[in-house]
Amino acid sequence: MNRAFDYRAATSFSEALGWLAEMGSNARPLAGGTDLLVNVRAGLMTPTCVIDLKPIPEITTLSFDEGEGLLIGAGVTINEIIESEVIQQQYPLLAICAHQLASHQVRNRATVVGNIVNASPCADMAPPLLCLQAEIEIQGNDGARWVPCATFFTGAKQTILKPGELVSRIRVPAAMQGAKGGYKKLKRIQGHDLGIVGVALAALDSAVHIAVSSAAATPVLVKPFSRTDDLGTVVAAVCEAISPIDDVRCTKDYRLFMAETYVKRLWQEVVA
Amino acid sequence: MKVKTTVNGQVYERETVPYKTLLHFIREEIGLTGTKEGCAAGECGACTVILNGKPVNSCLVLAVEANDAVIETVEGEGAGNELSDLQAAFERHHATQCGFCTPGMLMSIRDLLRRHPKPTVEQIKAGIEGNFCRCTGYVQVIEAVLDATGQSAKKGELKHVS
Repeated sequence: MNRAFDYRAATSFSEALGWLAEMGSNARPLAGGTDLLVNVRAGLMTPTCVIDLKPIPEITTLSFDEGEGLLIGAGVTINEIIESEVIQQQYPLLAICAHQLASHQVRNRATVVGNIVNASPCADMAPPLLCLQAEIEIQGNDGARWVPCATFFTGAKQTILKPGELVSRIRVPAAMQGAKGGYKKLKRIQGHDLGIVGVALAALDSAVHIAVSSAAATPVLVKPFSRTDDLGTVVAAVCEAISPIDDVRCTKDYRLFMAETYVKRLWQEVVA
Repeated sequence: MKVKTTVNGQVYERETVPYKTLLHFIREEIGLTGTKEGCAAGECGACTVILNGKPVNSCLVLAVEANDAVIETVEGEGAGNELSDLQAAFERHHATQCGFCTPGMLMSIRDLLRRHPKPTVEQIKAGIEGNFCRCTGYVQVIEAVLDATGQSAKKGELKHVS
């Protein structure tokens, strides 16, 4: 049984922001709940109130146009990303990575925004959003602002979000449409498992973007490369950008070795 | 808080605390105990129910989030004492041993069969990715799904089939 908390259903962002301001850190926003309810049960979070964002009409937005690019609302689930035709066609890396996240049941609830806000170093949606130059819309009582995904993560489970702020949308620029991509994720089994190390790569025109999960305190976006770069130089730059550790899942050396291996494989498969 | 749901075609309206999971609501407030609690953390799939047409871990949904929802549980599989074709295939193939994962497994497969009426072995494996079984090793489960969908495993496709 969960410890006791209240439940409020927000019907607009301003209502949710007002409640967050009123209750401070005692309130937690709820979208998919696949991290929040696990954390509450484990005693890692002790909200006195959860604020359900799902009744807010615009959070189900999943749209694409040439001006705005791809917009992903805070309620869009991982399976909705996998099933979206426009994503399959224009931003395939998002669907590839989404497919690697947890199990079918979890993907039916878990949201892309939740995966980013939870800010786990192994978040499967972080590498593709970093590679695709995504931006995050943050709503606060002072209004809304867009920030690059690359500046959003500040540490393990830490983000630039200030108390009382919410992420409302993610935007993937129209300029990144058509990027080819791949994601290699090391795990113990083919199915539902957390990543041990993961590498995503997106290639568009002459540019190649690489991001790595589970290899530093945050998901890491490496500086952009060019298709004509020497693969040895690329591998060295990726290994330089990450800072893996030894932990229960794997050693630092094995993480480095597999990151290097995955960069080489992805380069062969997507770029070469 | 008041929660009204339709479970297996029947409407239930119950008063509940806001922090009760859908799993506990189904078991304790509605009294349908087929759905099981395994890990209670979204890992094992024993609590899988179909919520508004989609399989979910009912341990990770609050009952209040399921207000006005349509839910399917294992109790909706058979009719009275009659097993569904899928349940009968599970019985024939010994796809149940301790039985604890079976209700959730059946819900995931019910959803799989709506998406893929004649699933391949790979599709079955992907369909039950979120359902752990610590008894069968899954082979009997896969055989049961193939049988229930009028297919049989190709030679060498499964360890059991020679």
